[in-house]
Amino acid sequence: MFDLVGFGVGGWGAALLKAALTTFALSVAGFLSGAVLGALAAFARLSGDRFARGAAFAYSALFRGVPDLLTIYLLYFGGSVALTVVGGWFGARGFIGLPAFATGVVALAVISGAYQAEVYRGAFLAIHRGELDAARAYGMSGPTMLRRIVAPQVLRYAIPGLGNVWQLVLKDSALVSVIGLVELMREAQVGAGSTRQPFVFFCSAAALYLAIAIITGSLFRHVERRSLRGVRTA
Amino acid sequence: MEMAFLADVFMQLMRGVPLTLQLAGTSVALGLVMALILAITLQSGPPLVVWPIRGYVTAFRGTPLLVQIFLIYYGLGQFRPSLQALGLWGLFREPYWCAILALTLNTAAYGTEIIRGGLQSVPFGQIEAARACGMSRSLVYRRVILPIALRQALPSYGNEIILMIKGTSLTSIVTLLEITGIAQQIISQTYRAVEVFACAGAIYLTMNYIIAHLLAGLEHRLSAHLRAAPDFESSVAIEGGLH
Amino acid sequence: MTVALMIDRNASAGGAARAAVVVHDLHKSFGALEVLKGVSLQARQGDVVSILGSSGSGKSTMLRCLNLLEIPDSGAIAIGDEALRFAKNRAGRVALPDRRQVERLRRSTGMVFQSFNLWSHMTILENVIEAPIHVLKRPRAECIAEAEALLAKVGISDRRHHYPAHLSGGQQQRAAIARALAMQPKVLLFDEPTSSLDPELVGEVLRVMRALAEEGRTMLVVTHEMAFARDVSSHVVFLHQGKVDEEGAPAEVFGNPKSMRFRQFLSATR
Repeated sequence: MFDLVGFGVGGWGAALLKAALTTFALSVAGFLSGAVLGALAAFARLSGDRFARGAAFAYSALFRGVPDLLTIYLLYFGGSVALTVVGGWFGARGFIGLPAFATGVVALAVISGAYQAEVYRGAFLAIHRGELDAARAYGMSGPTMLRRIVAPQVLRYAIPGLGNVWQLVLKDSALVSVIGLVELMREAQVGAGSTRQPFVFFCSAAALYLAIAIITGSLFRHVERRSLRGVRTA
Repeated sequence: MEMAFLADVFMQLMRGVPLTLQLAGTSVALGLVMALILAITLQSGPPLVVWPIRGYVTAFRGTPLLVQIFLIYYGLGQFRPSLQALGLWGLFREPYWCAILALTLNTAAYGTEIIRGGLQSVPFGQIEAARACGMSRSLVYRRVILPIALRQALPSYGNEIILMIKGTSLTSIVTLLEITGIAQQIISQTYRAVEVFACAGAIYLTMNYIIAHLLAGLEHRLSAHLRAAPDFESSVAIEGGLH
Repeated sequence: MTVALMIDRNASAGGAARAAVVVHDLHKSFGALEVLKGVSLQARQGDVVSILGSSGSGKSTMLRCLNLLEIPDSGAIAIGDEALRFAKNRAGRVALPDRRQVERLRRSTGMVFQSFNLWSHMTILENVIEAPIHVLKRPRAECIAEAEALLAKVGISDRRHHYPAHLSGGQQQRAAIARALAMQPKVLLFDEPTSSLDPELVGEVLRVMRALAEEGRTMLVVTHEMAFARDVSSHVVFLHQGKVDEEGAPAEVFGNPKSMRFRQFLSATR
């Protein structure tokens, strides 16, 4: 039954692996872009400016409260409509769809950014106030303190939470299949439809997702252990 | 964006709310029962039982919900003859039951991890004190371990409930007419994707806000033992006086 | 395969018909480390036995064997009418006693822990009535009335509707004592009851324990409080490396210590 997904002549193995690579690339790009968004949002949330705090809070609450599928649809259709309108100004006719991979990355960035903002905020609040006082007492300027004291510690405390968000991004990447991107989920659907063996294909897809999840998960745990060198834990 | 159109869309989408709540509510409730049983078994069961449970939890937490839904709805269709022979095909043919099954198995896996964390956080001394009073194992679980573990797990479990509400939107992909499903229906007729999806988003946001609020209230009621004493000042005075 | 046997009550050490607690030749190892190497002691009803020793001497382990929070590898225990004997079977493992017997034994002992171990999700009053209602199955109104009397006795009536986290250490320990008393135990076991307390709070707990001793309760107390051991106990036992090194009435033991190690211990803790 499972030789369909092997690497033989009629085998889909290569296609599935290639699609898994797309999934991985999509997830990494989305996660890293989300890190930038999340850091900005966390910074805004912790700042003194009331408007910035409110905006950051709204961003975080919005994308954690709305289903990710809807976010993906909205970004795709909203962007495509805008693109179609702009295209119309230049004489193009008909519907112009946004590129699926890019849209997927943006959607995953926006969604994971909302979660990552909470992780960074929590990590910052976990830093001992005393260390910041000491930095100020020694005359460290704001940017220096941020670079040498705050950022390293935030990263260290944030790693467990970021590990969770990464797993979330990996799973959400499957939703990008609805806008036509040929990543693992889409490829499995194609294979299932073509061969009328959905169980085989979706099981294989699940196994590949699990493999990526387990490998990257242990990577995160390794990084976590190394980051806790010299720190006494409970 | 005429108000009349939006209002009409809104009314139509609201008709999907009962199904959304039903899907989420049923799967969360069933999942909670499963999670309790599995978590307790993980704590104290024999290896023969523990390993399959761990495998299940890893599999369902490590794969996308969409894959799980497709596996059950489309994938099991590959075994139609066997299921028909067992008389189960009627069940697995229905998108509703496939969705419930997938959602339940998914939330139970996450729930098991959450409750397990809660169980491990119960201070061992309090368990010993209960045993020292002659409480039987089930009594210790019922009166000490579970109350403390569940209070500890409540914030994470509340989060899981919200994630489940969001998860129901995926069932639109297998034809169920909950909020997202109805939204897609409207869009296929009116082509006004942005407005309709935005409306749907607003409904989900409101629902989740209300649920989060209720959960916070529940958390507050159950955590009196973690807050400062109500009469802090007067209690300090009494302490100073009597001794 | 020796299993826990009932020791005939009358066959136990002569004249011990009024013995509340009998411990005979207890051995206990944790892995390769042998903590109890044959400990025996006896307490009659109304005795207050202080158990002293440096850390690692096995005193807490021995106390925890009495209510089976630790299972001894070999030896015998009798509390009131319940008697249990332990032995390693041919496979080298200790046969566990019958669950019901364990629960019965635990109902007749009340334990006060070093870290209080009050149930954090219940108020003080709820802590005290919990076991009488759910283990002894006594009616709720009766348990509440008795609990309130006990809490008044240990002096924390005003805190009975508070949660443990809102009480000082001394108050928590007094609540824990009330909780143990609520089970109407034959024997009270105290496992270093004041070791976790700030010095100013130790006194209030010792006062309560002294009052209990004067009432005629049977108490076994593992403690570092020498003054308590000297003034309140009827009997002192000094454990060293898993064996009883010295024992006797406080006057003899403190006034005229025979054992070298006990003398060292006394001078070190003075």
